[in-house]
Amino acid sequence: MKKKILVVEDEKTLRLLYEEELSKEGYDITAVTDAEAALAKLAQNGYDLIVTDIRMPGKNGIELITQIMGLRKDIPIIINSAYQSYKEDFMTWAADAYVVKSSSLDELKSKIKQLLGE
Amino acid sequence: MSELRKDLISGRWVIIATERSKRPDDFRPSGQAPAAPEAAGFCPFCEGNETKTPPEVYALRAAGTTPDSPGWTVRVVPNKFPALNPGPPPPRASRGIFQSMEGRGVHEVVIENPDHALELGDLPVPHIRDVLRVFQHRIKAIERELHYQYVQIFKNKGKEAGASLSHPHSQIVATPIVPKRVKEEIYGADRLYRTFKECGFCRILREEETAGTRIIARNGGFTAFAPYASRFPFEMTLMPKRHSAFFTDVHEDELLPLAEILKDVLTRLKRTVNDPPFNMVLHQAPNPTLSAKDWPELHLKSHWHLEIIPILTKVAGFEWGTGFYINPVPPETGAQFLRQA
Repeated sequence: MKKKILVVEDEKTLRLLYEEELSKEGYDITAVTDAEAALAKLAQNGYDLIVTDIRMPGKNGIELITQIMGLRKDIPIIINSAYQSYKEDFMTWAADAYVVKSSSLDELKSKIKQLLGE
Repeated sequence: MSELRKDLISGRWVIIATERSKRPDDFRPSGQAPAAPEAAGFCPFCEGNETKTPPEVYALRAAGTTPDSPGWTVRVVPNKFPALNPGPPPPRASRGIFQSMEGRGVHEVVIENPDHALELGDLPVPHIRDVLRVFQHRIKAIERELHYQYVQIFKNKGKEAGASLSHPHSQIVATPIVPKRVKEEIYGADRLYRTFKECGFCRILREEETAGTRIIARNGGFTAFAPYASRFPFEMTLMPKRHSAFFTDVHEDELLPLAEILKDVLTRLKRTVNDPPFNMVLHQAPNPTLSAKDWPELHLKSHWHLEIIPILTKVAGFEWGTGFYINPVPPETGAQFLRQA
């Protein structure tokens, strides 16, 4: 059975890229544009892993993962931000990994595999 | 009339702006409310959330409890997303005239207690002593086992002081080189040693004790005072009376009086200036094993101390451009308010 990954990313092109690239890796991808949509999806479905951006319209990614912690703490979360600087915010520790966005998705794919125990 | 004052150790001049001297009530720290994510109720440093931190490197915990589980009173964990990569100190590299080295270092977080709302100054004295004991333990381990040149311990309390999380914590950063500011303090200490024929810090402490006007609190082993050339309103220095260059040299029986006076000054600060954000920084000599060759008599000249800087004013263009600071509260006035608190 395919592992289910929820991707939270406000940039359309990146959302499409993640859907395409991670689907090729054999995952079932749901991609949403913001934190509210992510929380709605989480209320309806079970996911094996979440990948979230930080800078997004509405709630930011740190607020999102903090709210997820209030619901359940066992879903692995990867922060995927273009900015290194959020690493200084200890609230990011609620996530399991922090991958800085780059043109290659190798590090992200590798972290996903690691956190899913593959 | 403003006054220019020189800090003897650093050689830095400060403008004490007496004509616009402020009272404690004039400082209203803003933004002390917890950030939105914490309001949602999750904190990675709280007891019960140990799985959200990297495995602890050290903890004081109840007998029978296992690492990375509840039951601890002070807990030290590596930074989950460190700016410097862990590992042994790297060698220096050269590219022509330029020098560099791999970004390796130690970055640990000391979670001072399991209770999210209990600040360092609110803890019982024996618990503060335990936090200080943990600092000593980690400095020894990092210096002797990992051979880093300098171990910096600091605390950022409040958002304006740089804290991203209000759960009380301190940080330990060890660097493979002696930082510039530490070197400047060493050079200043060396200069004063040659001038006074004794430790400059001991001499300053004696002068402060004699003058008395800038003393904030004291006990048998330690004195807290407002430095003569304080850069910031209500700035405090906490210094041991017994000459000692290294924080790890504080004896076991001195830790309790140190914890007592630390709690005392933090409580005074909280009462006087409306619980301000602050930075607390440990100043001490670099790793004694590694620095003995470069600075053979450093143990005689350097004198560890704690610096507590309330964040009540902003460092802006003039300060960055000139290195001058303008302090609107004369240290004598600040010390008086703190003494009376």
